[in-house]
Amino acid sequence: MKLHEITITVNGTRESVSVPAGMTLLELLREKLYLTGPKEGCGAGECGACTVLLDGRPVTSCLVLAVEADGKDVRTIEGEATDGQLSALQRAFIDAGAIQCGFCTPGMVMSARALLERNPHPSDAEITEAISGNLCRCTGYESIIAAVRLAAERGEK
Amino acid sequence: MIGTFEYVRVGSIKEGCEILVAQDKRAVALAGGTDLLVNIRNTGRSPDLLVDFKQVEQMNDLVTDSDAGVKIGACVPLNVIADNRPINERHGALAQAARSIGSYQVRNRATLGGNIANASPAADTAPALLVLGASVNVEGKDGSREIPIDELFTGVKKTSLKQGEVITDIVLPSLGSQVRSAFIKKQRVRGHDLAIINMAACYSPDTGMLRVAIGSCAVTPILLPEVAVSMDEPIDELVKRLNVVAQDAISPIDDIRASAEYRRGLVPVLLHDLIRYVLSPGGGRR
Repeated sequence: MKLHEITITVNGTRESVSVPAGMTLLELLREKLYLTGPKEGCGAGECGACTVLLDGRPVTSCLVLAVEADGKDVRTIEGEATDGQLSALQRAFIDAGAIQCGFCTPGMVMSARALLERNPHPSDAEITEAISGNLCRCTGYESIIAAVRLAAERGEK
Repeated sequence: MIGTFEYVRVGSIKEGCEILVAQDKRAVALAGGTDLLVNIRNTGRSPDLLVDFKQVEQMNDLVTDSDAGVKIGACVPLNVIADNRPINERHGALAQAARSIGSYQVRNRATLGGNIANASPAADTAPALLVLGASVNVEGKDGSREIPIDELFTGVKKTSLKQGEVITDIVLPSLGSQVRSAFIKKQRVRGHDLAIINMAACYSPDTGMLRVAIGSCAVTPILLPEVAVSMDEPIDELVKRLNVVAQDAISPIDDIRASAEYRRGLVPVLLHDLIRYVLSPGGGRR
């Protein structure tokens, strides 16, 4: 099987890797770069657990081929904390009790990150719309919406 | 691994079409991949080669001009269309349809060209494009041609595109500033399900003509014959009149989403909401 040489920037670090055409961006992140924050839930772009930012826009990385990400900028949950300190958005998720089992959280945070970057003061309806592609089976969404609202109130951008 | 295919990224439409023709049916065009990759994964049936057109500049252009209309490259993501102000103002049905598809993440990948080339009977942008009088520009080994959107869909997942032809862009004609269009759909859950039924309407006050298109109710999306609307006609009468035409034109089936009977029953309900909206610019005229 032919391998493709690609270069992507992941959380600010340039990575050059060889990937087969059929490898997804999610598989590249998890299995070659050992960034296991993004999760595979459905594998069909429905649950949002694999959400990462591709050139700043949230995408389901299970439906992006690694070769398609060549030359692009990727951000994952691992890029949120700096110097061991959680981002204000991550802190808001904890403070609002927006985490239970944690499986959806990396994707939720990345969808929320993208929302706050394009709209620093979202309404609850806008928050709901922004995370509508991220399924959570335990917290019931209310606390997640509260977390994003809290992050916005604290001036998280 | 999602499949065993090979991948090539092309820099021009010509290059891509030559590869598609040379590979015959072993190669398929890749746009956003939100249908294609899921399908490969689910069926385990993989084409030999995916030909990625997303780097082709022309296929990413979105040009809006109030006189000349709108030209949307086939690889323009649905979110770009949903957020485009001129399209929202002049061709509202398409912006609404684009916004209704999948989730925000999926709409950052899914493209307009892919949505129609995939030719699902439930494609949400199809009824919108039908009532707006869109056409698609396609290119292949024999050159380029224009296909009116109502001649594109020929069956379930079937189009009038020839082997090796790809959609390069979608053209919306310029419509008067008074023209009002809208899109509506019914689905089991919001966000992650195909439409049980979807519908678009476009009304031109200048000509008094109303166009309605219905999806998920036949092997292809259906454009109903245009009807003249009199402002004296009560909306319930107009809905009744259109419902007769619609029931005759559609041939819904029972499937996992709904029964044929339920789909038929939804037609007048959606017609009512949609028509009231497009006929009442100020809201609540009737």
